[in-house]
Amino acid sequence: MSTFLVSVGIGLATAAILSLSAVAFTLEYAVSRVANFAHGELLTIGAYAAYTGQRFFHQNVAAAALVAAAAGCAAGLAMNAALIEQFRGRSAITVFIATLGASLVLQNVLVIIYGAANVSYSFAQGGLHHIGPFLWTTSNIEVILSALAVAGLIYLLLQRTRFGKAVRAVSQDRVLAQVSGIPARRVVMGTWALAGAIAGFAGFTLADTIGTFGPQLGFSFLLLTITATVAGGIGRPYATLGGALLVGLVIQVAGTYTSSAYQLVWAFGLLVLLMLFRPNGLFVRKSATAVRA
Amino acid sequence: MYWVSVITEAGIFAILALGLDVVWGWGGDFDLAFYGYLALGSYMAMVLTIGRPVPPVEYIIGWRLPYPLALLLAVIVVVALAAVIGAIALRNLREIYFAVTTLSAVTALYLLVQNYTPLFDGYNGVYGLINPGQTALNLTYNGYRIVFLAVVLVLLALVYFLVQRLSVSPFGRMLRSVREDEHAAAAYGRSVFFAKYRAYLFGAALAGLAGGLFAVFISAFNPSAWTPQELLVIYAAILVGGRGNPRGVIAGVFLVYIGFIELTRYLPSPASRPEFGPAMRQILIGLLIILMLKFRPEGLISERLSVDGRRGRRPGAPKVAAGEPAAAAVSGQPAGGAKDRSSQ
Repeated sequence: MSTFLVSVGIGLATAAILSLSAVAFTLEYAVSRVANFAHGELLTIGAYAAYTGQRFFHQNVAAAALVAAAAGCAAGLAMNAALIEQFRGRSAITVFIATLGASLVLQNVLVIIYGAANVSYSFAQGGLHHIGPFLWTTSNIEVILSALAVAGLIYLLLQRTRFGKAVRAVSQDRVLAQVSGIPARRVVMGTWALAGAIAGFAGFTLADTIGTFGPQLGFSFLLLTITATVAGGIGRPYATLGGALLVGLVIQVAGTYTSSAYQLVWAFGLLVLLMLFRPNGLFVRKSATAVRA
Repeated sequence: MYWVSVITEAGIFAILALGLDVVWGWGGDFDLAFYGYLALGSYMAMVLTIGRPVPPVEYIIGWRLPYPLALLLAVIVVVALAAVIGAIALRNLREIYFAVTTLSAVTALYLLVQNYTPLFDGYNGVYGLINPGQTALNLTYNGYRIVFLAVVLVLLALVYFLVQRLSVSPFGRMLRSVREDEHAAAAYGRSVFFAKYRAYLFGAALAGLAGGLFAVFISAFNPSAWTPQELLVIYAAILVGGRGNPRGVIAGVFLVYIGFIELTRYLPSPASRPEFGPAMRQILIGLLIILMLKFRPEGLISERLSVDGRRGRRPGAPKVAAGEPAAAAVSGQPAGGAKDRSSQ
């Protein structure tokens, strides 16, 4: 039983990282209607930025996290301007293939800058804490708390601010939003900046949790991100959080009882089941099943 | 001998690309599992010919079949796997959903092969398929390689004529009509799923064939030989040559392969940074994909030219537009299906 609870605890920590990455992915989809395959590289860029930054900030985890978020933000803005906007109006699959190309480019630029070998942070993971039935390291707890905080902030941003209202309008219909006087271009830019910052931060937490990482860090996390996003319902930020929770728990618990090498196999089994039976997401009412292709 | 090797590899990948082009170019399905079929074909061709494993090496089967028979069996196994993946992925899923599902399938296969050693000896892979039939044919090593090149080119020519015939056959036209507008094709009584499914199995068979040939070409196969990203090179080649058009695809493969192999030879690759050359090559492939999509999505030789030009203008023949497929909804139901495909 305690093995089970420990794996649930780790599952929650994984779910927290996954929720950050998946929310960013879903925000990108919401405003640009693109399944961004270069999303993983935003995470990797964040992780490497923190790696470069730790030389100057030493043990300051918060500063490293900020550096990661800032780098992700810049990368998100650049990606939108240089790639996504260039392919505006083209079919979804064309943009998708273009992002696949971009992912290949970015991954290998990172290989050239940082080398193909794995690197690791020197941050202390902190001691183990028993909290309720779970067993977490200090950094696990920090990750879970910060993911909850980010989720709360995004909720407030989307529901309570003018920017959030504009994001929701643009994600419904960009042209209509534009003719209603919403500066759609700027809103899309802002959303990519936000998504990039979240993704960069997610990349830092992911790299810090795993321990060592290389240029493939984000790419190998991308399929989990997509699984979580699809589980929740793509383009729906709040449902995505539920999807992340589900995927995080499934892979950690199932992985504990088989082998951690097969964690991803379980995730993909889950993805295939979802694709077959609930391609619009688990938390979507039957009446609203039109997938926004 | 250097050129023999380069052209052999390009020829094998041209067969693979022709198969992929049937799936993507004609059918419009962006399949990311495709390189897995080449890999499985390769593994199968190995384990069917190289005999029992010697511990600690382990792998399944371990027969000593004659190579052509093993090649045939390998193709059958690959088609069987594609039948399962295709049945899941093609039924209702389109576009990005299809791509993500096939990518998941191939990644799961990859992890399984890499971690479950009794299958194909995990990360070490299988090896030992060295020039099958060399002694029977009484050839030197180099002579064998030239004969093998000839075999590959003959097979490529056969595949090309087959694909070209299919391209202008009713089946090829039906597939394109399904790509352009699934609902219209369904309304005209075409079974969308079976059209795509047959194309998918045919494409996978060609991938299996290419895999079996690739096994002879490199004589060893392990997971590092088939990371999913390898497939992007094939897509880049198809994009360059001209999607949906067999001649363009072959031209694209030879251009990209020979172009890139030649280019990367002249890249500076300092001994201290062995990863520099391969990384530059990947960057160029990625840029090539993006630039082709942006500025010339129909490729150097467009599909319309190749397909319509050959057949003449028959009244009522379905129009084939080069470039982007019509946006197909995820709900690939026949017209009148319950699902709503309105984009919001």
